[in-house]
Amino acid sequence: MANDPTAASVLVPSGATPDGRCINELFGRLAAAGGLYSAGRAVVAVLLAFAATAILILIAGKNPITAYWALLDGAFGSFDHITFALNKSTPYILTAVGVALCFRAQIINIGGEGQIAVGGLATSWVALNYANLPPVSAIALALAAGIAAGALWALIAVAIRLWRGVHEVLSTLLLNFVGVLLVSEALNGSMGEVGAGFPQSPMFDDAVCLPTLFTGSDLHVGLAIALVVAFAAQFLLWRTRFGFRLRLLGGSRAAAAYAGVSLAGGMMGVMMLGGGLAGLAGGIEVLGIHYRLIEGFSQGFGFTAVAVALLAAASPLAVIPAALFFGFLQAGALAMQREVGVPSSLVYVIQGLSIVFVLCAMGLDDRRRWA
Amino acid sequence: MPPLLEMQGIVKTYGAVRANHCIDLTVPEGRVIGLLGENGSGKSTLMKVLFGMTPPDAGRIVFRGQPLVGHSPREAIAAGIGMIHQHFTLVEAMTVAENAMLGWSEAGSILHPADIARRIDAASRTYGLPVDPHAVVATLSFGLRQRVEIVKAILRGAKLLILDEPTSNLSPPEVASLLGVIRRLKEAGHSVIFISHKLAEVIEICDEVVVLRDGAVSGRAPIGQVTREDLARMMVERDLSAPVTRNTREAGDVVLAVEDLSRHDAAGTTRLDRVTFSLRAGEILAVAGVDGNGQADLLDTLAGILPAHTGRVRIGTRDITRLSVRRRLAAGLAYIPVDRSGTSLVPGMTITDNLAMRDFNRMPLSWGPLLNITALRTQAGERIVAFDIRTADADAPTHTLSGGNQQKIVLAREIGRKPRLLLAFQPTWGLDPGAARFVIDQMLALRDAGCAVLYVSAELEEVLMLGDRIAVMSNGRLSSPEPRAAVNVTRIGLMMAGAA
Repeated sequence: MANDPTAASVLVPSGATPDGRCINELFGRLAAAGGLYSAGRAVVAVLLAFAATAILILIAGKNPITAYWALLDGAFGSFDHITFALNKSTPYILTAVGVALCFRAQIINIGGEGQIAVGGLATSWVALNYANLPPVSAIALALAAGIAAGALWALIAVAIRLWRGVHEVLSTLLLNFVGVLLVSEALNGSMGEVGAGFPQSPMFDDAVCLPTLFTGSDLHVGLAIALVVAFAAQFLLWRTRFGFRLRLLGGSRAAAAYAGVSLAGGMMGVMMLGGGLAGLAGGIEVLGIHYRLIEGFSQGFGFTAVAVALLAAASPLAVIPAALFFGFLQAGALAMQREVGVPSSLVYVIQGLSIVFVLCAMGLDDRRRWA
Repeated sequence: MPPLLEMQGIVKTYGAVRANHCIDLTVPEGRVIGLLGENGSGKSTLMKVLFGMTPPDAGRIVFRGQPLVGHSPREAIAAGIGMIHQHFTLVEAMTVAENAMLGWSEAGSILHPADIARRIDAASRTYGLPVDPHAVVATLSFGLRQRVEIVKAILRGAKLLILDEPTSNLSPPEVASLLGVIRRLKEAGHSVIFISHKLAEVIEICDEVVVLRDGAVSGRAPIGQVTREDLARMMVERDLSAPVTRNTREAGDVVLAVEDLSRHDAAGTTRLDRVTFSLRAGEILAVAGVDGNGQADLLDTLAGILPAHTGRVRIGTRDITRLSVRRRLAAGLAYIPVDRSGTSLVPGMTITDNLAMRDFNRMPLSWGPLLNITALRTQAGERIVAFDIRTADADAPTHTLSGGNQQKIVLAREIGRKPRLLLAFQPTWGLDPGAARFVIDQMLALRDAGCAVLYVSAELEEVLMLGDRIAVMSNGRLSSPEPRAAVNVTRIGLMMAGAA
């Protein structure tokens, strides 16, 4: 293909710019990774991140061992703590599975946040207006609406990418803001609770709220759905024609063209799948945790999901432990702050460093392979 | 007066490949020396050695009376050697003046763009190289970018300019203007090494020509004393006794018929120009030609990866001009592209997956939307044995294999499909002699089994060895195929050089 010298840097399809190539190389490497080896690598990276953060805690004049003990106690200390952490991990699993599938095809979907937001919005709208349906079908219809909304939101990004040549990093990223603001718009308008003083919807009818897995706990069925989704995604990736197409696209776009696999088709399919899963995560969050739509309920889940997918080396099954790690870490963070006075934001340092170390390990691999 | 540059006994080997073997090259001051040769004849290696990009195994370089030993490109530039690569080294988002300053110590740590712009203007006027110092490189045409590269080299004090295939991407008026610039440089006392395989230009501009073949000098002469025919012979002449045994067999029905196939790229340049030929069952049509004359476009268009703009392609009686890649695969077309590192193979995927890559959509490898993993494994096992792919594990990623074994995967997949028509583009590229021989034997076996083979290669030797009929591709045009017995090698050399 001839290089068109007039094309501006961000408006070039599929990484024709140096920056784009660098990103694509990274994700190509990600797509090639997998298996036990990368699991071991992730564990080492996490341990290194804890060690590095311990130094920061020391500098802050606190004892890292007591701080980490408080973290551990906050995460696992009681049944309620564990429940809280599991519920927190659920949207991470769902969204990160979608992101991981996109990564496998070398498509960089960072639009989870907006897809979660519109998914939650659509689910809430159904929950508020169709609560009088039989309970299970009301929930199913509400979640289906969330899936459809998330998929459509992703489809907009894909359309901009395919027909206007704007890289999906930009189109998905920018649509996040639109999606989140759309929720605010709805809550400040027709969907808002009158006289609440805060942008939130009225409470949903009990019939449309997600049932819990055990009586007497807050653990809702979302976790079970997320686990099923992760296993199904693993099957999809390795045992179906669609999955083979994704892996081919991720391995080499030129090889995919040579094998007769269309980029547009694969991209649309996997992005709508990812968007649908994020939309489902948004729906589960409003039906299972808040029982209403609240402004900012997505809390950056979409961005954390990208980190989770990276830590999982874009493997749908590995997303489960990676998401649980992030969920429990964040659940424990508040306890650590309360008990020891170490700021909970240090947990984000641990998350960030884990990712950095995982990526460094991949870089090392690469050097060894070509040396 | 001693010559400007003297290279003596340069030897460079890469593994078993003898890229340069005892090459001598002398460049007097104010002369243009043509360096002529086919792809892989050693021109690039020799220039890399001169420019300090790769150290020679043996030999001596003396430039302006000073020996150049273990030098880096930076030192070569400082000594007064400028190299204009075929692929330019300009930053597209920067202006001409900014590019000129880039990595140039004389530009200082505090930049004075206006100053540089003045010097560019001055140099432009002296050598007839008009170029706007404030233009952003991305907006410049190919010919203008080349001028920027030349100006850059001159500003850095280059006494000797190496131009690597400088005319290969230029339009005819741009070529004329470049040749004018070279004359002005010569008058100003600069010397030029002009690397090319285009005989007409070499004869027009050079004072002396050195011809390389298989890494050694096969001829040198002042330009007035040679004809095009001499040069073509020096470039391509070789022993023609066919080292492979081939069965004589009558070709069968027409399998592939191509009529007036044309194609242009996004920039509007014609890549294929009314290509017409036909190919019969049990026949190999071998196409010679220097890389970049439309071979890749021809094969990618026939395989359905690139669209044809005019013309018709038929397999048997079926018109496939507008069919998708998948439909063509189903119609019995197999294709071995030149690039193993990302087109015919996915390095990160397993051998099993790579063997299934072109048929995973069909029975028996898939069943509805599901892959049939057992069928994938069975197929892989069979083909690994049949093609002797040396691997311990069918689930190993292909990048762990040697080049020869990787190519065996491609052959196993494409030949294993039992094609009616095989398109092969330099399938022996980068392989050691044993592996190359395996590929050649597979091509002949396929022909004997009644498959039609279109074999395209820049290696003339292979073309002459394999082809039942032989044609030459030059500038997007395909010459009329001639039977092997009627082929005249000198004429093929002339056609490859665009001179016949």
